Amino acid sequence: MSRINQYINHVLKQIQSPKEEREDIREELLSHIDEAKMYYVHEGLSENEAEEKALADFGEAHGIGKELQEAMYPFQRGLLYMIGIAAICYGAIFYLNYAFNLHELILDWLAIQLTISSAVLLCAINISFIGRHFYLLHTLIFFMMAWLGFNIMVVEMLPDGRNIFFTIYLVILIGLCLVFMFRNSYLSTDVSPSKSKERTLIKFSYILNLIFGIVLTGGALFFMWGGLIMVGMSWVVAIPLIPLLAWLIFYKFHMSFIAKKPFVSILVGLTFSILVFVAPVALLIFF
Amino acid sequence: MSLKMKNISFMIGMVFLFFGLWGISLFAEGTKGFTGLGEKIDISPDDKTVVFSHYEDGDASLYIVPTTGGDAELLVEPEEGKSYINPVFSSDGQKIAFIEEWEEDEQPFGELKMIDLESGKMEELTNEGNHITEVAFSPNGDDLYFLQSSVYENYSPIASERPHGFDIFHIDILTKEVEQITIKDEYSMTDLTVTPDGNELMYHSFRDKDIIAFYSLENRLERTFTPYGEDLEESIISSPALSADGQKIAFSGVADRDEDGTFVYEGIQMDLETRQAEKITSFREHVASLSYYNDENQLIVTVDKNFAAGYPDYHYWIVDLDANNQKRLQIQLPEDN
Repeated sequence: MSRINQYINHVLKQIQSPKEEREDIREELLSHIDEAKMYYVHEGLSENEAEEKALADFGEAHGIGKELQEAMYPFQRGLLYMIGIAAICYGAIFYLNYAFNLHELILDWLAIQLTISSAVLLCAINISFIGRHFYLLHTLIFFMMAWLGFNIMVVEMLPDGRNIFFTIYLVILIGLCLVFMFRNSYLSTDVSPSKSKERTLIKFSYILNLIFGIVLTGGALFFMWGGLIMVGMSWVVAIPLIPLLAWLIFYKFHMSFIAKKPFVSILVGLTFSILVFVAPVALLIFF
Repeated sequence: MSLKMKNISFMIGMVFLFFGLWGISLFAEGTKGFTGLGEKIDISPDDKTVVFSHYEDGDASLYIVPTTGGDAELLVEPEEGKSYINPVFSSDGQKIAFIEEWEEDEQPFGELKMIDLESGKMEELTNEGNHITEVAFSPNGDDLYFLQSSVYENYSPIASERPHGFDIFHIDILTKEVEQITIKDEYSMTDLTVTPDGNELMYHSFRDKDIIAFYSLENRLERTFTPYGEDLEESIISSPALSADGQKIAFSGVADRDEDGTFVYEGIQMDLETRQAEKITSFREHVASLSYYNDENQLIVTVDKNFAAGYPDYHYWIVDLDANNQKRLQIQLPEDN
């Protein structure tokens, strides 16, 4: 592999662009570097020296890649790092607090918390491989958000106002997840309408559709929690998660539709959300 | 560092973090067993002695101490990993029945034991892998009634595992013959007491709300009620105790709320005839359980100063209902324990 190709690959390793976009960036970088190289060849440098000088002019590949990532997907990688590290810190603090104050070792909880947090951090580290799969990122952060929501119910049981710190921490973390999911959805689609009004409508549609998902999550967690209290550990308590999964699958196809038909997609999203929520309830009532 | 190395290093780091946190939590003092006074006590028929449990790193021994307080005497100590809890005096004050409790494979067991105070002889009354939780003497001292649970599980994962499926049983101390009295499979049954005439059994249960039940041993019928009264903010009660004359019940109930809106549990007394409940303590701490004296108009109240915040921190207080005062029962445990 030539030195230029190695350089470009190194740049691309820092960018989460999907395949087609990566090829466009590759082409563009290649043409600029070739142009610079040709300039130095005309100046009298050997081909090897010209290549070296052109690459040096471009700057360090790692830094260029990071700058491109930030320009195209601002704050997304940083948000992933922030969510992952904050979730790991939460896991450590909550686990130790539980062990020292409530005299119980919740190792299974710690394992889940660290696994989900690690998955998020691994996505940030491997942004060039995983970042291009926007729906995968969306699903992971959605699960993270649902898990954190479940944890709010867990910390609510702590006495002496000890729950307030953890609740605030979790709410901030959930907020970061929501910001990431909105931006991830918006940046995943090729949104290029010229009118700012249209862009605003698209953003508004993404936000509303995510709110439908959040309401569904809240409802599912509420019923699941109620089920755990009333029924105990049983597969029945997982039923409220079905509408949530249905919504997640639906959102995969809905993501691109929102960018194309923002207004209609609000109605479609709302209808689907109501449908997946009402259907299981109707099934339970009538059958 | 290459991306592959970054990933491997990160994953190894997370594994270390998991085991590191596990290690730290193992060294935490909190994960050791509970050390402190037990919740339930009993007062001897002559009102001179109190029998109680004291836990040392999770294992409870039985002690006796004068009701005036002072030096406690170790009555009986279990083998490691076992606890002696919920002791009760016989009507002649010569014997103490109690529960030997332990865990095997995260399943609790409780068997009935009895000690003769004069001879110091200990008798094993049951030994069949039961989970007996409480015991009460009949007035003549020949029989015992006890609560036994058939299930130990978390009906809800937010609550920890607890005994359920309760029923009342009877045992003849001489023949050791056991008879099942109720077939209720109750969600919860606690605070079993035999009425002074020996005709009824009183216990506390939960059937959509807290109830106090009187079960007739003659006709097997049951009457239940939930206490109410001006001093009782909510119908949430626990640890009912019957007075020696069988006319009154004292229990822990919600008497107030603190500045955060959290329930404050005080001692409440209810006259069984008028059914009126009134507050008899003012600790502003969590009153956990109560025991009546036999001749004096007094009670010993167990107060938890660390309620709902990890291990309890029980203290015993003498509440004089005539003098309307409450003073701490100071107990000096033997130094070697």
